[in-house]
Amino acid sequence: MQVYSVAQITGYLRDILESDALLADVWISSEISNMSGSSAGHLYFTLKDEASQMRCVLFNRKRLSVDIENGLAVVAHGRISIYEVSGAVQLYVDMIQPTGLGVLNMEFERLKAKLAEEGLFEPSRKRPLPAFPEKIGIVTSPGGAVLHDITNIISRRYPVVELVLAPTTVQGESAVPGIINALNALNDRGDIDVIIIARGGGSIEDLWAFNDEKVARAIYSSKAPVISGVGHDTDFTIADFVADKRAPTPSAAAELAVPHRDEIETHIGSYIATMAASLSNSIERGRQHADELYATASNQVNNEISVNIERLRGQELKLDSLSPMATLERGYALVQSHANGEVISNISQVERGDMITVQVSDGQFNSRVTGSKKGLQAWMKDFPSNSH
Amino acid sequence: MDEGLSFEQSLKRLEKITETLQEGGMPLEEMIALFEEGAALAKTCHERLNKAELKLSEVQTMFEKDEKSEESA
Repeated sequence: MQVYSVAQITGYLRDILESDALLADVWISSEISNMSGSSAGHLYFTLKDEASQMRCVLFNRKRLSVDIENGLAVVAHGRISIYEVSGAVQLYVDMIQPTGLGVLNMEFERLKAKLAEEGLFEPSRKRPLPAFPEKIGIVTSPGGAVLHDITNIISRRYPVVELVLAPTTVQGESAVPGIINALNALNDRGDIDVIIIARGGGSIEDLWAFNDEKVARAIYSSKAPVISGVGHDTDFTIADFVADKRAPTPSAAAELAVPHRDEIETHIGSYIATMAASLSNSIERGRQHADELYATASNQVNNEISVNIERLRGQELKLDSLSPMATLERGYALVQSHANGEVISNISQVERGDMITVQVSDGQFNSRVTGSKKGLQAWMKDFPSNSH
Repeated sequence: MDEGLSFEQSLKRLEKITETLQEGGMPLEEMIALFEEGAALAKTCHERLNKAELKLSEVQTMFEKDEKSEESA
């Protein structure tokens, strides 16, 4: 036989209580009594009905969104454990609301606050949707109008994709595991670009699977970005908050998932126009360039021709200056023997009395030699070419 | 055109060709070849948009066939 201390037994009890899934996350509906506050801001009270009562503690009363008082009918959420100092089993409350608001509503608010605090709704973690998806996963019921609507819309807007249906129930007992299983099945393929998770309109109870924490976490950890389209545009679910993109309805989710082919056609049209304009601009530029080349080339040819003409003219002038005519014009004369036409360049060729013909620039005359003398006139001696 | 290109790849290639042609600065023969490729891409993109039929497939889940008859949503 083993004997335990009180601390051992209360510790054992605490372990049992805290390892129980139901007691770790429980809603209790009852009436408040024996309420008292502590200076530290904690609130102590008892929840009781006709048959029994339970001690409750709410740490940090600032978390209360409504005032509570003795006698108020409430629904409280929290975990059950044992306060070892007094040995009392009590509810550690994290949320409390007057009963009139409805339990589902409160659970919704509680989970929303919790996941928001964890960062599951952070805008910074929302992933962009692919502009041109190739494979779109659809998590929804295979038989409903929702799938039909989504198929129609995507077929009309952007039929070049493949839709991959991951069938699941979307309400009732099997909806939560079904939705999670469908999301996983799509993500396991590794080739899905975006996932639409959708359900038609219904009551808050009908849509409840989309307010489930496990579904929210499955959406959060999805590899492919998720578009939620649940209920009508007035319905907001936890799935909407955690999804990468919230669509007000399943049809709107389909529209968000794909581009519209008219937009693409417009783009293609502008590409063609731009390409054609660029090409014809280049051809025009090429033509201008060719014109310029031609102009430059013909200028060069013309220049060469004029240079040659100049050169020829220069040659002509030189030829002129060498011709006997130019010499005659400068005052020199050509002297020839009248008898035989021999050009006279030495005085030995003539004798007194000989007839000579003197050619000047514009004519000739005859003359008779009356005398001769050897040697040059004084001024001619200065020319160097005559020194020989 | 390469039939292996996805629709998105074809569009991207068309966009790239358009940009290249806009920048210019290449021999005219190359421009004409690019223009021809771009025009062919535009044509096939247009045809794919207009002739494609939506493909619908299904992935295996825990959903049972007999559940379908109960499903109302």
